[in-house]
Amino acid sequence: MNSGFITLFEREIKRFMKVLVQTVVTPFVSSFLYLLVFGVSLGSQVKVHGGVPYLAFLIPGLMMMGLMNNAFQNSSSSIVSSKFSGDLEDIRVAPITNQQIIWAMSLGGVVRGGLVALVTYIVGALFYYLQQGQILSIEHPLILIYFVIIGGLIFGMIGIAVAFWANTFDQLSAFSAFVLLPLTYLGGVFISVETLHPFWQIVAKLNPLLYLINGLRYGVLGVSDVDILTATVLSLLGFAVFYGVSLWSLRKGSFQRW
Amino acid sequence: MNPLQIENLKKNYGTIEAVKGVSFDVKPAEIFGLLGPNGAGKTTTISIITTLEKASSGKVEVFGVDVGKDPLFTKKQIGVVHQEVINSGYFDVEEILEFQSGYYGIRKNTERIHFLLNKLNLYEHRHKKVKQLSGGMKRRLMIAKALVHSPKLLLLDEPTAGVDISLRATLWEFVRELKKEGISILLTTHYLEEAEMLCDRVGIINYGRIEALGNTQSIIKDFTQREVSLTLTKEIPVKTPALIAQKGTHYRFIVPPAKTIGALLTELHVDSSMIIDIQIKEGSLEEAFLRVLKTNSERARL
Repeated sequence: MNSGFITLFEREIKRFMKVLVQTVVTPFVSSFLYLLVFGVSLGSQVKVHGGVPYLAFLIPGLMMMGLMNNAFQNSSSSIVSSKFSGDLEDIRVAPITNQQIIWAMSLGGVVRGGLVALVTYIVGALFYYLQQGQILSIEHPLILIYFVIIGGLIFGMIGIAVAFWANTFDQLSAFSAFVLLPLTYLGGVFISVETLHPFWQIVAKLNPLLYLINGLRYGVLGVSDVDILTATVLSLLGFAVFYGVSLWSLRKGSFQRW
Repeated sequence: MNPLQIENLKKNYGTIEAVKGVSFDVKPAEIFGLLGPNGAGKTTTISIITTLEKASSGKVEVFGVDVGKDPLFTKKQIGVVHQEVINSGYFDVEEILEFQSGYYGIRKNTERIHFLLNKLNLYEHRHKKVKQLSGGMKRRLMIAKALVHSPKLLLLDEPTAGVDISLRATLWEFVRELKKEGISILLTTHYLEEAEMLCDRVGIINYGRIEALGNTQSIIKDFTQREVSLTLTKEIPVKTPALIAQKGTHYRFIVPPAKTIGALLTELHVDSSMIIDIQIKEGSLEEAFLRVLKTNSERARL
């Protein structure tokens, strides 16, 4: 395999491991609080379809939310901090292709996002065991792994595109606050879209994040608000689109320091 | 085949022409100085060689290969020291150099990295982060980064900006050693005295154009005049316009490059028995540089 790609991938992993509190411990704390407040305390008052306990419904949603946020954060903050310190120029000047940069950075996002999803699952399973007295088993492990990888790649690539497009930290956080956060919260993390008014169900199904969140939920629980084949196809389509977008952003965007 | 060949290079930013048809080359194992005031187009030219910027038109070849057509090949031949210090906040010195090696296809490069760290007096600082290094150490780290993959062409974009005199001397000595090893070097610097000592050839760039190009000594000769001071045994009548000052039997003349000292003495009817002392002050690269810029700006005003 190519040394430039491996080195860049290794650098991405080492980078987030150096700030473990920010990259893994903080998501762990927020997942813990979400599970405690929504899953354990309010869970008994929320109904979801298929007779699934609300805590079990919430766990895969939080896993995907953590995965998407962290995959996005990993690549975008890596690029933005490199733009700030100037070492992004080193990567441009070195014999590394744009494809290698995209794969290394988005796979870095998959690893960090996957780690956060795993931590969320472990904490959630512990709560689930304490509440239900049984282990939260994984219904479809391969589907779960597929959605972890594809979700991490897509959001890693979105992070790359936004970071190359952004000229300031403000623009980066604006994307997180005004695009990513609303779509995540309205993408079926906390509620089943089937409990919504039919009109809002249609609106919710236009949200692409719904398919990733429910795809992963199907992998864990075997239930989903959307057809799993549709979710798989749309996620592949999303991957292709954002691969193209991130490649375009690298070709058109600047590697020069802020 | 020249390590670097640039022909009619142009770079526009919108309607602004930053580089207007620059042509020069860097020959094997030579130090070439690209000199010019701030904003002349030096860094833009270097950015195009490294593919950080795309040329609007013209040709840039590294060892005969166009940088736009096979950038992976050309990038492997080049080491670059950027003008501004790069931080790399998360990693220590040794990690930075390991990553840099890996980018260039060398995964296990400890021997070379330790050699460079020792050579540049950074070995004992190898576990420090960049922010913990002094300004001089940061500069040396940048040079080590540029050399980890043993490049054949080194681009030094003002590598000694803000560096104290003794460190500058050490760095230039190191650059001379690299030249002896056969590395070709393109250098930009504002320290013209040092460029004069180091560079085999120079190009003076202003407003995106090369205004003078050639052997360093030829440039000095072509664009400066010598000052000759004569102390004679007795006063003599002097009618030449070359005379700029006289105090008793002490005379000062400005002699154009084409005129020999012998011709001056003949013109003055002075023979060797009349000379008590003669001092010749040759022109410097700095004078040549200022002369070129002055001529250029006078031409621009016309």
